[in-house]
Amino acid sequence: MAVAMEEAADLEISGCNSNSTIDDNGCAWTDWSPVMDWGPLSADDDFRGLIESMMCDDPTGLAPTSFDPYWNSNPSSTTTSVGTSPVQEPRNGGDDNEKGLRLVHLLMAAAEALAGCHESRELARVILVRLKELVSPAGATCGEGGTTMERLAAHFTDALQGLLDGSSAAVGGQPASHRDDLPCDVLAAFQLLQDMSPYVKFGHFTANQAILEAVAVDRRVHIVDYDIAEGVQWASLMQALVSRKDGPPPPHMRITAVTRGGGGARAVQETGRRLAAFAASLGLPFTFGQCRLDADERFRPGGVKVVKGEAVVANCVLQPLNAAGTRRGPGSVASFLSGAATLGARVVALVEEEEQEEEEGEGDFVGRFMGELHRYSALWDSLEAGFPIQGRARGLVERVILGPRIAGAVGRAYRGCGEGGWGEWMAGRGFGRVGISCFNHCQARLLLGLFNDGYRVEEDGPNKLVLAWKSQRLTSASIWSPPPPPPAPADLLPVGAVSNSMEDSYLLLD
Amino acid sequence: MIVKKASEIPNQHHHHHMSTSRQSEPDDPSASEKWAANLLQDCAKAISEKDSSKIHHLLWMLNELASPYGDCEQKLASYFLQALFCKATESGERCYKTLVSVAEKSHSFESARKVILKFQEVSPWTTFGHVASNGAILEALEGEAKLHIIDISNTYCTQWPTLLEALATRSDETPHLRLTVVATVGMGGGSVMKEIGQRMEKFARLMGVPFEFHVVRVASQLGELKEEDLGLREDEAVAVNCVGALRRVAVEERGDFMRLLCSLRPRVVTVVEEEADFTSTGSEYVRCFEECLRFYGVFFEMLEESFAPTSNERLSLERECSRSILSVLACDGDGVGDCERREKGSQWFARLMQAFSPMNFSDDVVDDVRALLKRYRSGWSLLPAQGDDSGLYLTWKDEPVVWASAWKP
Repeated sequence: MAVAMEEAADLEISGCNSNSTIDDNGCAWTDWSPVMDWGPLSADDDFRGLIESMMCDDPTGLAPTSFDPYWNSNPSSTTTSVGTSPVQEPRNGGDDNEKGLRLVHLLMAAAEALAGCHESRELARVILVRLKELVSPAGATCGEGGTTMERLAAHFTDALQGLLDGSSAAVGGQPASHRDDLPCDVLAAFQLLQDMSPYVKFGHFTANQAILEAVAVDRRVHIVDYDIAEGVQWASLMQALVSRKDGPPPPHMRITAVTRGGGGARAVQETGRRLAAFAASLGLPFTFGQCRLDADERFRPGGVKVVKGEAVVANCVLQPLNAAGTRRGPGSVASFLSGAATLGARVVALVEEEEQEEEEGEGDFVGRFMGELHRYSALWDSLEAGFPIQGRARGLVERVILGPRIAGAVGRAYRGCGEGGWGEWMAGRGFGRVGISCFNHCQARLLLGLFNDGYRVEEDGPNKLVLAWKSQRLTSASIWSPPPPPPAPADLLPVGAVSNSMEDSYLLLD
Repeated sequence: MIVKKASEIPNQHHHHHMSTSRQSEPDDPSASEKWAANLLQDCAKAISEKDSSKIHHLLWMLNELASPYGDCEQKLASYFLQALFCKATESGERCYKTLVSVAEKSHSFESARKVILKFQEVSPWTTFGHVASNGAILEALEGEAKLHIIDISNTYCTQWPTLLEALATRSDETPHLRLTVVATVGMGGGSVMKEIGQRMEKFARLMGVPFEFHVVRVASQLGELKEEDLGLREDEAVAVNCVGALRRVAVEERGDFMRLLCSLRPRVVTVVEEEADFTSTGSEYVRCFEECLRFYGVFFEMLEESFAPTSNERLSLERECSRSILSVLACDGDGVGDCERREKGSQWFARLMQAFSPMNFSDDVVDDVRALLKRYRSGWSLLPAQGDDSGLYLTWKDEPVVWASAWKP
């Protein structure tokens, strides 16, 4: 039977349009054998388990040997070293591309099947089965669990499977397979990501520089941070504050971290301790506090104690690459940004993911799904260019950080809750655009210069810088000034009073 | 590599028209499981509309998901994909010839025998027709001393041992039986029929039935059979047994074939055919496709539920089906050996009425058939023809699948 099919496949089509886009994508009609004699292509579970166990080895062995002052609580002026990435040997590009294209087609077909009427779910299931075979270690093309596209496709396949099963990943919780991630793994992965790509630092540095400029002569600075995570952003701000030349002495710095309570609050407390210790090592006067979101995850400005004479700065980093975990809903973010205005913040620094432009304004699941695929593919490519360490490290970052984010992104695309840029939202509410200084812009370029030259900085208006990998926008930092606060509603306390409903824990240091 | 934007991928059709599969209501939940049927139907439509990018997309998807070794849907996808591909590339006849030659190389008496015997063990698909036909033949030829059965069938003479036994155990004189088998191109080489003949002769000797066995080979198409080829004798009572035979006659020659049968002056003609209508052609490609898909969907499902999960015999039968499917859906011309364009019982009824008159199966025969069905797994049942038809239908899960009927001059 195989003989017959090869012969049949050699024939040209008659009566079919040969000028179609078929040829442009290298999928020549005549390349197929219409009946594939499969033979058993089984996913070898033992092999996969072996790879997993390799990645769960003591992660400290994987950490970069550079001496990061913040993480090691050691005052030092050394900057984190960033290795230049050796160019990966190009594999047999043609085959990889073909397979990659095939995977993309299948993913798109699966998304279409899910997005259509109910009748297609079985088709989606069958396509996902096929995808899993193609991206499993047995079906993958190279030893360390496959090519970039294969690994990316594996995560998207899992995300779609989650949608199909209606599992918790689809509704925004942690995917089951990732609940077993060791906290040390998560931290290590986050640190790796920070070191190996400018994704995180870009936002932090841009925001920090704008904050520095905004509070240049203030004696007291109060930062209200929506999602402090490990507090890495503030370590570098603190360093900058103490090393200002020709300027005033370092101000008193206060940070109020917004938390959700429960386990999150404990992690934030830990962050606060770490920050306090670091500040002490720098000789910087420092105070740390928390402010809890209410049951709806809404931010109440009244929960933040504001001291007369201090410059209030609102910091809002909405990157899903935090080690901390899940995103918060749009209502919560909106309440924070509004609350910043109420608190009379001097500036609002916003770091967020850049949205894909909508394809033809359709806004359907398939379009959004392909957008996410495009985005994460670019992200994946950028990481691949930046990781000089062997595949285990990259595998850790992919598995622990990027995989769950993909699941979340696909889930959100499915539910149609795409969030438009918050910058636009703020502009619409009368927030002013605060220009980004030339110095800030140059600093961003310098930062990117330390990494692969596929990264670009783009300006999007006077107050916004965008980090892009090749043509794909990844993340942006924008600076805003709030509109005058509205008349205080009854439940807000006057600025300066201490609220009895606060549940702060202060770490005073002196 | 950078993922291309969706707009750069060949024009995708986001909402395939989801037509329903066999006998299902628009919101039949089981329709959702027939993912292959849906894709295949969409592809057939695209081919008839010459929508080349859609054809490309669907053929590609089917190729990714199909397998002749998977579940029912995957198998259907695989075999129908082959037919659609050949249809789209107009390579059906060449492909068919290759499939046939490959099959013939591995075809032997032993293998054919194994397949059909196993099939008869697990399913009444063929034995149903045998029991009904034998019953009608025995009753019609009661009392005759010299019998001549002209057998045009596709079941390798597995029908006749039971008949020989019945002849041998009759109370009166055992009649003399002449069996003339009409063999066409698709029935294996000369060695197969020779082996069959030898075994039949041996069996008849054992039964004590005077017996003669002949094979008549028709060069290309069944429609070319002539009366002279059969060597009829004056003093014998003729019965013509057509099991899966009439459909192998080219559609336009079927009327003539009836007349030929009539000219043989038989006492009884038994006809057994599968219940499907593959006669729509040309502009009605989609309709023919859907009927083909419906029928073979039932057949494959029946095979899956009747055989053990890993069965070579089943695989053999499926491959045979793939040749029929290819022939119906991708071959237009005459140069392809046996035609496979089935017609439904009601359609054959109308044709046969031109030359014969219907004969009802007696109650005894119907009882015999019922007893037969009891020996198999549940799901099978008997349905007497209603209305203008005559004959009996074998049903699988309440769907008529095989039609058996008897006729007299």
